[in-house]
Amino acid sequence: MPQIRPAALSKYLLRGQLVSRRCLRTQSRIQASPVTASTASLVRYLHTATATGEPPSNEPAPIHVPLRKQLKDEAKKQKESGTKKKKNVDNQVVDGWELTVGIEIHAQLNTEKKLFSDAATSFNDDPNTHVAYFDLATPGSQPIFQKAALVPALRAALALNCDIQLVSRFDRKHYFHWDQPSGYQITQYYEPFARDGHLRLRSRDGIAAEDGEGVSIGIKQIQMEQDTAKTVAQPGDVHWIDFNRVGMPLIEIITHPEFHHPATAAAFVRKVQTLLDAVDACVSGMEAGGLRADVNVSVRRTDDPNAPLGQRTEIKNLSSFKAVEDAIIAERDRQIAVLEAGGTIAGETRGWSIGSTETRRLRGKEGEVDYRYMPDPDIPPLFIGLDLIGHMWDTLGMLPDDVLDTLIQEFDVSPKDAMSLVSLDEGKRLEYFLTIVDFLMAQYSDDIDFEYYQHTVNWILHELPRLTAERSDEPAQDLGFTTDGECLRMPARHFADIMIHLFNGEINTRVAKELLWFVFRGRVPGEYPTVLDAIAGEDLWFRELSMDEYEALADTALQGQDDILRHFIDVLIFPRGKLMFLVGRMIRIGPEERIDPNTAESVLRRKIRDDYAPNLKIRDNRAARLLEEKDSGRLCSGSGTA
Amino acid sequence: MSTYVRHIHPRAAQGVTATQWRALRAPSLYARFLHQEVTSSRDTPARVQHGELPQIRLVVKDNIATSGFPTTCASHILAGTSIPFNATIVTQLCRHGMEVVGKAGMDEFGMGTHSTTSAFESVCNAHPLEAYSAGGSSGGSAVAVREGRADIALGTDTGGSVRMPAAYTGTVGFKPSYGMLSRWGVVPYANSLDTVGLLSRTVRPIRQAIVGLRLYKEHDPRDPTSIPDTVRSRCTAEREYYAPTAGPRKNLKGLTFGLPLEYNIEELDPRIRQGWLQAVDTIQELGGRAVSVSLPSTRNALSAYYVIAPAEAASNLAKYDGVRYGYRDTNGSSDAQDGVLYAKTRGSGFGDEVKRRILLGSYTLSSEAIDNYFIQAQKVRQLVRRDFDRVFKLKNPLLDEQHFDLSEMDESVGIETKLGPAQVDFLVCPTAPTTPPLLEQVRNQTPLDSYMNDVFTVPASLAGLPAISIPMDIPVDPASEEQKLLHFGGLQLIGQFWDDARLLSVAERLSKHVAKNIAGSP
Repeated sequence: MPQIRPAALSKYLLRGQLVSRRCLRTQSRIQASPVTASTASLVRYLHTATATGEPPSNEPAPIHVPLRKQLKDEAKKQKESGTKKKKNVDNQVVDGWELTVGIEIHAQLNTEKKLFSDAATSFNDDPNTHVAYFDLATPGSQPIFQKAALVPALRAALALNCDIQLVSRFDRKHYFHWDQPSGYQITQYYEPFARDGHLRLRSRDGIAAEDGEGVSIGIKQIQMEQDTAKTVAQPGDVHWIDFNRVGMPLIEIITHPEFHHPATAAAFVRKVQTLLDAVDACVSGMEAGGLRADVNVSVRRTDDPNAPLGQRTEIKNLSSFKAVEDAIIAERDRQIAVLEAGGTIAGETRGWSIGSTETRRLRGKEGEVDYRYMPDPDIPPLFIGLDLIGHMWDTLGMLPDDVLDTLIQEFDVSPKDAMSLVSLDEGKRLEYFLTIVDFLMAQYSDDIDFEYYQHTVNWILHELPRLTAERSDEPAQDLGFTTDGECLRMPARHFADIMIHLFNGEINTRVAKELLWFVFRGRVPGEYPTVLDAIAGEDLWFRELSMDEYEALADTALQGQDDILRHFIDVLIFPRGKLMFLVGRMIRIGPEERIDPNTAESVLRRKIRDDYAPNLKIRDNRAARLLEEKDSGRLCSGSGTA
Repeated sequence: MSTYVRHIHPRAAQGVTATQWRALRAPSLYARFLHQEVTSSRDTPARVQHGELPQIRLVVKDNIATSGFPTTCASHILAGTSIPFNATIVTQLCRHGMEVVGKAGMDEFGMGTHSTTSAFESVCNAHPLEAYSAGGSSGGSAVAVREGRADIALGTDTGGSVRMPAAYTGTVGFKPSYGMLSRWGVVPYANSLDTVGLLSRTVRPIRQAIVGLRLYKEHDPRDPTSIPDTVRSRCTAEREYYAPTAGPRKNLKGLTFGLPLEYNIEELDPRIRQGWLQAVDTIQELGGRAVSVSLPSTRNALSAYYVIAPAEAASNLAKYDGVRYGYRDTNGSSDAQDGVLYAKTRGSGFGDEVKRRILLGSYTLSSEAIDNYFIQAQKVRQLVRRDFDRVFKLKNPLLDEQHFDLSEMDESVGIETKLGPAQVDFLVCPTAPTTPPLLEQVRNQTPLDSYMNDVFTVPASLAGLPAISIPMDIPVDPASEEQKLLHFGGLQLIGQFWDDARLLSVAERLSKHVAKNIAGSP
């Protein structure tokens, strides 16, 4: 059985180094070149007036909005507009038109240091506390490429099936904005480090139904580049600048224009995030502002297959999966409306706010800056060794798709549950499941019933969360899944014991649920060393009814249920709902703790098939005949009187 | 009067310097320095040991970060700005007991040929040549040396900015191989061309700094273009005269000097040409051999330089926006002018020559022009380097062995063996095509005229090669007062990459013979 340990494998990423925020903090304390008092005093508030309220430069500062606020705003806007939008799932295609979309994703790499300085990366630290001379573009300071950034970058590129370029270079992309201290961003424009990748999307990834079973999206290139500073807006046209973020390493993933349905584009972004998470390349997801997407949208009529792609527009800084889908739909509809009205589409950059119904124009072609890309003359070319690439491959671990395939094909887990297992708690639940599997294998070895896997998954996904969800009066308690497949509040050994006793028919489901509480509350191992001791000590053994007792109970349960039993007459397959009602009745009437529902069901089936249904049929027929006779007698006498 | 020390707050700066110097002299620190000297003195010749030398006075060009002094690059946009760390080269020299006595005036951001584009004060040549150009852009450094106010001066050389002022002031100016001296703390003009250069009265102090103090060995991890230790060792192993005990050459026997045919241009002042030929005679008298060589890409080198340097400059100077440091135009309520940020700050902060080069560079990098200018210029740059690699006996240690096509060679160059023309140890040519022009003339020149002055110095910069300008005598018409004042020119020697030590050794030997009237005299 393959051991799948994505979270564990990721520890090898930095050649044995563990990345933790705590490490970073120590690092930053001993960092040699933070902003000194003299330069810090030079940092000023930028005071500017802009007519439009939009940053005048071409890179609008991505201002991060917390998710909860996003959702609130969205709800508010929807309420205001008073109109229910058409559901996206029914809005993937417009007849007569073809949509074409390309995506650029920016993701923050999981590294300790910035891309070209040894200042620490940070997220919510005090402003301007992690800034090296180079980050501030202090004259005379120079960039030093931090090799460690290659580790997450390469893992991302390999996960996206890219060709790693043995030689790549860094270029300067020039534009003026206060969040860009040097007046240019260092990126990889001419020679990126990864090219020609692809990502296969399947129906389980949530693509549009129109894309069928699956679709493969080509990735043009992946480049490393610097992040900008964070702008903190203040009242009265004042902006504060936090340079902690400036120079943090990003990758930009650029796809070919190969999307034709909005949902598929959103599914791509979601899947990229899952992949980057799985290989530990990325710091945080879209919701936390660690991932941003730009989409290029164009439409053309479907009547001429040889027609070139339509003029495209770019929508910048989409910060949620839903925003990606909504913005594409809105922009597609806007373009079609313009074209149908006889207009033309201008190549321009547009923006999107969460919850709105249309994109808005940010700047047109005439406002575009010529970025004047130039190879950076200070930074030497980057040579990536084949040995490094090999090492990265070897330690990449299983990718989510492979894990899903294994779960579905080898463990018979349903696709939906497999997806949940992989995506919840950063894969820690999957690790937990695999630990339980180890215990099951030790117990049953080759005789294992494959249904046990799905049952175990059900308990992990549905029963365990109840332990924390039901205690709503207490502060939310975490089950405490760990990366090495354990759970603090539900040690794997005890959980596995409960499952095994349950599968062996030694306890029933109700008892198994009760035992979960024993473990969760610490009675196992506090009061009873093991689950077995708890069952014995509390006398929770499942003492099943004898066959005679089952039959007697079935007879009692079927008393007076003729109306229901009639549905079982002369049918090949028993109506399931009705049968289960009767099983439930049996359990309700009888001693629940001694009844196995499966046995109860089979006893019921046999009784109904062999006894109750045929007898009821005979009784009914007889009654019908009596009624007939009675009626015909009345008819006769009636005719007699007529 | 003061031609070189130049800041907004000179007194404050001097105060800081004095304090620093006192700190340096404090017993504990002093002992520490001594200790360092003792540990490193095992293989250092006795004469450079600390304490035995009188204090060496160092003047630093104002685009090199120096603690205690503002670093303004002679630009209004950095007026009063201090860079809060020392440049590596300053740290290195101070560690060897040198004292920074002042900062030197220059062309704004190093852009100019006569040190006249400073935002604060133009530099003029040393007495009695005050009416003449001191050359640029490290003019202040050269004049400080010429006037005896500094023993060694630091300059920067991007396309001749150290060699040109040396030629105009009768001093020695040395530009090392690219990547030998760290650029950390040096405000970049054009990173791929910039080098830290040294100026002095004679070659000896420069050779002692580079070879004697072993500056050539010191890799700086903060400068990504600083040659790594392994490459330094490899290059040094292929070269001579790096042993700290090596003195200047006794003679020039066995050495071949090349005269580039393409450098004999029409604009060359006849007296400079004559001085050049006299120097070649001297070389032969000292046992050297002189041959003519062809560097066919020379004619395109200047154009390539004036594409590449402004392009990199436009990019480097984008950081001066008045947000984090430096000058900021606060007239009016906002930085925005027609919706463009910083327009005012940059508009009034930069001088004309700087703005000209920013525009030039921005254009050559624009999407419509980059293929025809920037890319072509980079190709020319490779051709220039190939030209040099072809004529030098030594191979370029940074490149694999190359094969050259004879058909590209000028017809007037004779074939020496069946393999091709003679190969040389050094190239010898004038540094500047003329004697220093009058400042008044300079003011009336078009920018293009002054760009022409760099024609002999730019090729070595494009190829990253070591080059040195030493003073040479030129013929003087006793009837001409001006010629009696301007009785010297600059003779430039260019060597193969990392041949710096041998170049300095040969220059030290030669300089005594080619400048009998000037060498060492005030």
